[in-house]
Amino acid sequence: MRVSKSNKYPSFLGWLIALLWLSTFSVYGAGFSAEVKQAEMKLQREDYLFSAVLVYHLSDKAKNALQNGVPLFWNVHFKLQQPHFMFLKSTLIDVVIRYRIQYHALLNMYRVRNEFNGEVYNFSTLPAALELMSVINDLEIIKKTDLDAKKTYFFYVKVDFDRDALPLPLRPIAYIDPQWYLSSDWTLWPLKK
Amino acid sequence: MASEKITPSVNFSVLILFGLILLSLQLMSSAMQESSQLSAMYSWLLMFNALGSVVLLVLVGANIFSLVQHAKKREAGSRLTTRMVSLFVVLALAPAVIVFYFSMQFLHQGIDSWFNVEIDRAMEDALELSQASLDQRMRWHLKQTQQLTTKLEESSENAMMLEMENLRELAGATEMTLFSRQGRIISSSSVNPSDILPSLPDEHIWLQLRQNGEYVALTPIHDEELMVRVIVTVKTQEPKYLQVLYPVPVRIADLADSVEFAFVRYQEMSYLRDSLKMSFSLALSLVLLMSLLAAIWVAFISIRNITAPVKELVKGTKAVASGQYDQQLPVMAQDDLGFLVESFNDMTHRIAQARDETRKAGFEVENQRAYLETILANLTAGVISFDEDYKIRTANQAAYRIFRVHVNQFMGQSLLELVQNYSELAEPLKAIQRLLEQADDIWQQRIAFLGPNGRQELLCRGTPLFSQVGARVGAVVVFDDVTDLIQAQKNAAWGEVARRLAHEIKNPLTPIQLSAERLQHKLASKLEEADALILQRSTRTIVQQVEAMKEMVDDFSEYAKPSKKQTVDIDLSQLIQEVLALYALRSGVKFKAYYESGVQLINADPVSIRQVLHNLIKNALEAIGTEGLIEISLHRVQKNNTDFIEVALYDDGPGIKEEQIEKIFEPYVTTKAKGTGLGLAIVKKIIEEHGGAIWIDTARKVGAGFIIQLPACNVD
Repeated sequence: MRVSKSNKYPSFLGWLIALLWLSTFSVYGAGFSAEVKQAEMKLQREDYLFSAVLVYHLSDKAKNALQNGVPLFWNVHFKLQQPHFMFLKSTLIDVVIRYRIQYHALLNMYRVRNEFNGEVYNFSTLPAALELMSVINDLEIIKKTDLDAKKTYFFYVKVDFDRDALPLPLRPIAYIDPQWYLSSDWTLWPLKK
Repeated sequence: MASEKITPSVNFSVLILFGLILLSLQLMSSAMQESSQLSAMYSWLLMFNALGSVVLLVLVGANIFSLVQHAKKREAGSRLTTRMVSLFVVLALAPAVIVFYFSMQFLHQGIDSWFNVEIDRAMEDALELSQASLDQRMRWHLKQTQQLTTKLEESSENAMMLEMENLRELAGATEMTLFSRQGRIISSSSVNPSDILPSLPDEHIWLQLRQNGEYVALTPIHDEELMVRVIVTVKTQEPKYLQVLYPVPVRIADLADSVEFAFVRYQEMSYLRDSLKMSFSLALSLVLLMSLLAAIWVAFISIRNITAPVKELVKGTKAVASGQYDQQLPVMAQDDLGFLVESFNDMTHRIAQARDETRKAGFEVENQRAYLETILANLTAGVISFDEDYKIRTANQAAYRIFRVHVNQFMGQSLLELVQNYSELAEPLKAIQRLLEQADDIWQQRIAFLGPNGRQELLCRGTPLFSQVGARVGAVVVFDDVTDLIQAQKNAAWGEVARRLAHEIKNPLTPIQLSAERLQHKLASKLEEADALILQRSTRTIVQQVEAMKEMVDDFSEYAKPSKKQTVDIDLSQLIQEVLALYALRSGVKFKAYYESGVQLINADPVSIRQVLHNLIKNALEAIGTEGLIEISLHRVQKNNTDFIEVALYDDGPGIKEEQIEKIFEPYVTTKAKGTGLGLAIVKKIIEEHGGAIWIDTARKVGAGFIIQLPACNVD
C-alpha cells in the first residue's frame, strides 16, 4: 500500500532543473512520468524479498528518439531506511536497478538490458519490452536477522529516467522539455514484518 | 578626496574571473565531445556557464543602472563614461554579432551538409540489403527445417529423440529442441554439451507460432551472438514443435553488425540534427554572451577607472568655480590624465596662494581703512569728502559734533539738499558748496554763522581731488570750529589791554590826583575867592575823573585776573537758591526756578560763580525794570560723552538786538546807559576759565536768554 509521496532527495542541480522544468510542466507535463504502482517487501524464510510493479509512460519524443536508435536508461532506486528522532533517519540499503532499452533496426526488435544483473532481453514490440522493466520479482534485499523486529522501517522506491545518459545534444532540451521528464517521485512504503 | 585607484586585487580578481570563464568554456567545449570523460559533466558545465552569464548580466545590468542614475543626476564624469561605454559596446558588439551570425550560418550549413538524401537512401539500402541477406538465409533455414520435420513426422517419439543429434549435425545447427504442444521440452541437442537448458522461446513467439504454425527470426543469443531461430510444427498425431537455432556465419554477422551500427549511428545523428544545431548554437551563444558580458563588465571597471580622474577634475573644477581653491586631487596614474591632474593641483594651489595674498592685502587695506576711519572719526576737525558731482561720500563724527547733524545719513546728497532740512546751517553749507564748485586748488576760508550752539566760527580748508589722468574725482573739506580759539585770542588780547591799562594808566593817575590836591592845598589860600572856587572845581573834577579812571582800570584788572582761584565742589542748585534769596525781596519781579532732582555738583570757585549769577541777574533786573519775570532752570546734559550742568536764565525784558548778539560778551559792549560793559565779558571769561560755555539762546523770541554749561562732577 502506498503511503505517501512526500519524501524527496533533491540535489542542487535538481532544484535548478526543477525550477526550469516547473515553468513548463504545468502546461505540458501531465501523463509522461513513470509510476510506482505497487511495491512490497515480503519475508520468505530468512530473507526479505522486494517486488514492485512499475509503469512507464513514454512521450512521443522519447518513443521517437528510441525508434531512431537513441538508448534510454531508467534507474529504479530502492532505499530501506529506519526513522529516528524528528526527521533523522539512517539508510540501511540503497540499491539501484538500471535498465537500458534500445531499438535494433536490423532485427527490428527492442533490447532490454538489466545492468543490475547483466541479463539481456529482446522484444519485438515496445510494450513487451517495457513490460519486462515494469516488474521486479522477489529481489533479495536483506536478511531478517539484519533488522530489529521491534523497530519500524520504511522503504522508498523511485523510477528515475537518466537524462544525463542521453546523447549530449539532447540533454539541454531534455532538462527543459517536460516530455523528457519520465521519472516518478519517491514513494514511501512501510515494511511489514 | 577618496582615491579610486585600480588596486592590484581588483586586477587580480578580473584576471581570475576571466580565467574561470575561459576554463569553464573550454571544459564545456571538451564536454561536447562524446568521447570525453567530461561528457557526464556537460549539464553541470552548461548550468555553471549559464549561471555565470546570469551573474555577469546582473553585474552589467547593475552597472548600467548605476550609470543611468548617475547620468540622470548629471554627476561629474557620468556623460563621459556613458559615451565611452556606449562606444565600446557598439565597437565590441558589431564585430561579435557579425562573427556570431556567420559562425551560426557555417555551423548550421556544416551540420546540414553531413546529411543528404543519397546518404539516407544508401544507409537504408545497406540495412535493407543486410536484412534481405539474412532473410534469405532465414528462409533457407526454414525450408531446411521443414525438410527435417518431414523425416521426423515419419518417426515415433522415441525415434525422434534418438534422431535429434544426427539431424542437428546434418543441418549444421547449433541447437535443436523438440517441444510438446504445451511447450514442454521433449528432446534437445546442442553443439555445446554444457548447455543443459536450451534456449526457450518467449510467449510472444509461442503466440505467433500458434497462429502461423511456424516461426523464423534472428535472435541474439548470449547477448551478442546472432542466431536464426526457426520453429516449425511437426505434424504428428500429437503436434509437436521443432526449434532449430542456426548460427549466422561470423563474416555475415560482422557485416550486418557493422551495417546496423552505421545505420543506427547515422539515424541517431540524423534524429539529433536539430538538437545538435541547437546545442552548438547554445554553446556558441553562451561563449559569445559570456565573453561580451565579461568584456562589457571589465569595460565598465576600466572606463570607470579611466574616467575617475576626469570625474575628480570635473568635481574639482566645480569646487574651484564655487570658490574652494584649496582643492587637491589624487594623482591616480603617471599618464596624460595624471599630468592634467597635477597641473590642476598646481593651478588650484597657485590660485589659493593668490587668493590668500589678495585676502591678506584686503585685510591690510581694510585695516588701513578702518585705522584711517578711526583717525578721521576721532579727529576734532570735521572731514567731509565729496564725489565728482559734489555729493557727500563720507563724513566723520566731528562733522556731527560741529554741525549737530548726522551728515552720514545724507550720503549721495549735496550740501544744498542738507540745507533744506537744516536751515540754520544754510550759511556755512552754501558757502562750502560754492567754494567747492569754484576752487581748482586748495582753498581756506573762515566762515562765521549763528548755529545751534550760538555764534560759531569755522575754519574751512578744501582740497579738490584729481585722478591720475587729471580728471576731477571729488573733493575733501576739513573744517574746525575755531569759535573758542578766536574767543580765547580775543580774551587774551583784552587781558593784555587791561594789564597795560593798569600799568600805563593807573600808575600816572595817583601823581595826577596828588598833584591836583596839592595845587588845591597850596593855591586855594593865595587866590581870590572866585579863582579859588574855579581851582576847587577844577581840582575836584580832576580828582573825580582820576577816581573814575582808577575804577575803570580796577575793573579791567578784575577782568584780566584769573577767576579760578580756589575750586571746591559746589552744589549749583543750592548756590542758585542762595543767590536768588538775595533778590527775593524786590517787589514786582518774579523768580521761577526749575531744578532737576538730585545734587548738581560742579568743581568751581564759589566766589566767581556767585559773581556770574549776580552779573546775569543784575543784567536781567536792569533789562526788565520794576516788574517782570526771571526764570532759572537747572539740569544735567550730556555732550560729547561728558556730563554738563546746564543753567538757563531767561527774562521777559526787551531782549538783545540781533546785531549786538555777536559782540555782547566783548568788553565795553553794553546796551545800558550806565555800566562799564564788562559784566558779561567777565561772566564769559569766568565760565570759560571753568571749562564751560555760555551763549545766548537765539531760539527764544521773548526777552533774553543765557545758557551756561559747566562740567559736572560725579555725585559718587
